[in-house]
Amino acid sequence: MQVFDIFLLEAVVNGILLGGILALLALGLNLVFGVIDVVWICYAELIMLGMYAVYYGHNVFGWPLWLALVFGVAVVAVLGALLHQFVIRPVLAAEPINQLLVTGGVLFFLQAVATLAFGIEFKNIGIRLPQLSVGEMYLSVARLIAFLVALAGMIGMYLFLTRSYLGTAIRAISQDRAIMPLMGVNPNRIFLITSALGGGLAGLAACLLVLQYDIHPAIGLTFGPITFMVCVMGGLGNMIGGFIAAFIFAQFISVGGFFLHIEWGYVIAFVFFIGMMFWRPQGILGSK
Amino acid sequence: MQIKLRHCMRIGIAALALAGMATMAQAQSKEIKIGVIFDYTGPFAAGGSQAAAIGTKIAIDMINEKGGVEGFKIKPIYADAQSKAEIAINEATRLLEQEKVDLIMGVYSSAHCVPLAQKVDAAKKFMWANVCVASSVFKGKNLTHVFRAQVHSDQFGEASCSFLNEHAKARLKKDPKDLKVAIIHEDGPYGSGVASGNEAVCKKYGMQVVLKEGYAATSPDLSSLVTKLRRARADVILHTGYNPDITLFWRQAREQGLKWAALIGHGAGYGQFDKLSAAFGKEAEYIYNVDPVAAQLLDPKTLKPGLGDLTQEMVKRYKAESKATVVPPHTSMGFNQSWIFFTDVLPRAIKKYGGYDPEALRKASLETDIPVGGTIQGYGVKFFPPGNEMAGQNERSSPVVMQYQGGHTKIVWPTAIKTADPLLPIPKSSAYSNQ
Repeated sequence: MQVFDIFLLEAVVNGILLGGILALLALGLNLVFGVIDVVWICYAELIMLGMYAVYYGHNVFGWPLWLALVFGVAVVAVLGALLHQFVIRPVLAAEPINQLLVTGGVLFFLQAVATLAFGIEFKNIGIRLPQLSVGEMYLSVARLIAFLVALAGMIGMYLFLTRSYLGTAIRAISQDRAIMPLMGVNPNRIFLITSALGGGLAGLAACLLVLQYDIHPAIGLTFGPITFMVCVMGGLGNMIGGFIAAFIFAQFISVGGFFLHIEWGYVIAFVFFIGMMFWRPQGILGSK
Repeated sequence: MQIKLRHCMRIGIAALALAGMATMAQAQSKEIKIGVIFDYTGPFAAGGSQAAAIGTKIAIDMINEKGGVEGFKIKPIYADAQSKAEIAINEATRLLEQEKVDLIMGVYSSAHCVPLAQKVDAAKKFMWANVCVASSVFKGKNLTHVFRAQVHSDQFGEASCSFLNEHAKARLKKDPKDLKVAIIHEDGPYGSGVASGNEAVCKKYGMQVVLKEGYAATSPDLSSLVTKLRRARADVILHTGYNPDITLFWRQAREQGLKWAALIGHGAGYGQFDKLSAAFGKEAEYIYNVDPVAAQLLDPKTLKPGLGDLTQEMVKRYKAESKATVVPPHTSMGFNQSWIFFTDVLPRAIKKYGGYDPEALRKASLETDIPVGGTIQGYGVKFFPPGNEMAGQNERSSPVVMQYQGGHTKIVWPTAIKTADPLLPIPKSSAYSNQ
């Protein structure tokens, strides 16, 4: 086998594009954890509901795609806020394990609700994006868009958190939850806004995944575990760390899968993850 | 004397009462409890499990409408494996130990079937597998109380390669030894079993197996596999998967410019043409599928009299219950296996072996001898005997190769029962054509 050929380059580029998807998935989860200190185990299920929202908007209600996408983001943003208000807020002071169990319960609840409400059939919005070929190399336009949106989402979040009053308040409360109420900031309001933002980012991920995957109640299982691993490897709550970890992870999967069996790509990625947990348990950019 | 008479009368009344109670108890127990396990939720449900479950339910309903089996009503207890092996095993345990069912029936996924069959057999209970196909369920396991009339995965693997061998020269203008074949599969017992069959038989015909690779059915990305397939420049891709991995593969193959002369799928998600067509439109055309045949595609004249009507009834009821317009092969699999059990094995067990305990069912199964043409799916039934490497598996089962042409499913192999000629290589109009 020729080691350096156009197909290897294609695998590298595909890895970068896959990294974009993983980065986008990790963005909202990291935001929520970084500010509220609670892990949404049901995060991928919120994305699943967002995908259904887009499908119903576009294919059932007959809306134009852009409106269905906006609807998808809005639905998951509202769900994020509701999740915080009715599930997370009552257990904010509880032990972390209890918080995990509660959001884990929501995961199964949402899967069951989706099965009952939408059925078991695989759904698809039926949109085919054109191929993009560069010489002998082919790239997925849907993934290219996901990559660019992830990049824009990352920059947008950075600017929002550093340049806006609300963003500053969010960062402040993530640094010291106890002192901020003394300075007139209402933590519950900030948490609610952060949850809606986290939900909105999950909705954004849903809008891009719906272009590439079938929708079914168990789709969250495809992304949930890998999203958590990316977040933990980057440093839970650290958005830049999650962004970097997503691309490292994706390269192991893509290039590892190219040189060896595709399953080995995942094995190498997981071994690297375990090694990282020994070396830097706080993650790539996490603080001890 | 009077006291003695009264005493005798009391004993007589008590005896009558007891006899009456016993009769009532017997009347109440004139039913056979069957634990039916399928995936009603999770990704396997839409991949064929629910269609098979409905087929099984239709068979049970029809048997009960006819008065049951030898006077015994069939009482099904349906359990959802949720597309998870551990749930399937837990449900089987619950059905056997708490619900006290007389046997286990159903099971869609081979990943569930392999551990379940061993568990049920070890407990000396009885299991009748309806849909799962992995040869590894039986191969070398010496199972004594598990039986399967369904086709097994080695036969899937053999069918696609035999089909290619038969048509390579005439249609692909290539000698079989010059034909490049790539084998990709989900890495569970089902996919691995079919892939092993593919590899062994394609190599036997001298074909070049340029890639053989498994992947997890839940994998979020198959792009590196598609890249490798493009590099391998295979003429034909043999694919075994569930769903949604099949649709993910198709989508990424399309995005990355993968082309082929033929893509041959092997059951599961590939048997759900209506769903593939809904997701991919015309791109689902010309795909091949190896599966036990959907009964309604067979000419009823080739079957035992009456089976054509039975198939029509099954189709009518399935469409009414599922609101679907297309009846997938899985419906036939669920119905056919159940029907064989209720009309051949169970009556013999009750009449000849005095009941329906696991031993009676085992003995009755071993005496099953249905000739070819004796079931709605065409194949006959006779189980490999104890001591055989595949003991418990039907030795007369056989799959067919189908192709989706013009929105319809056509049988293209075996040539003796084909309903259309194969379009091989696939027409240039297909987005996947390598012409």
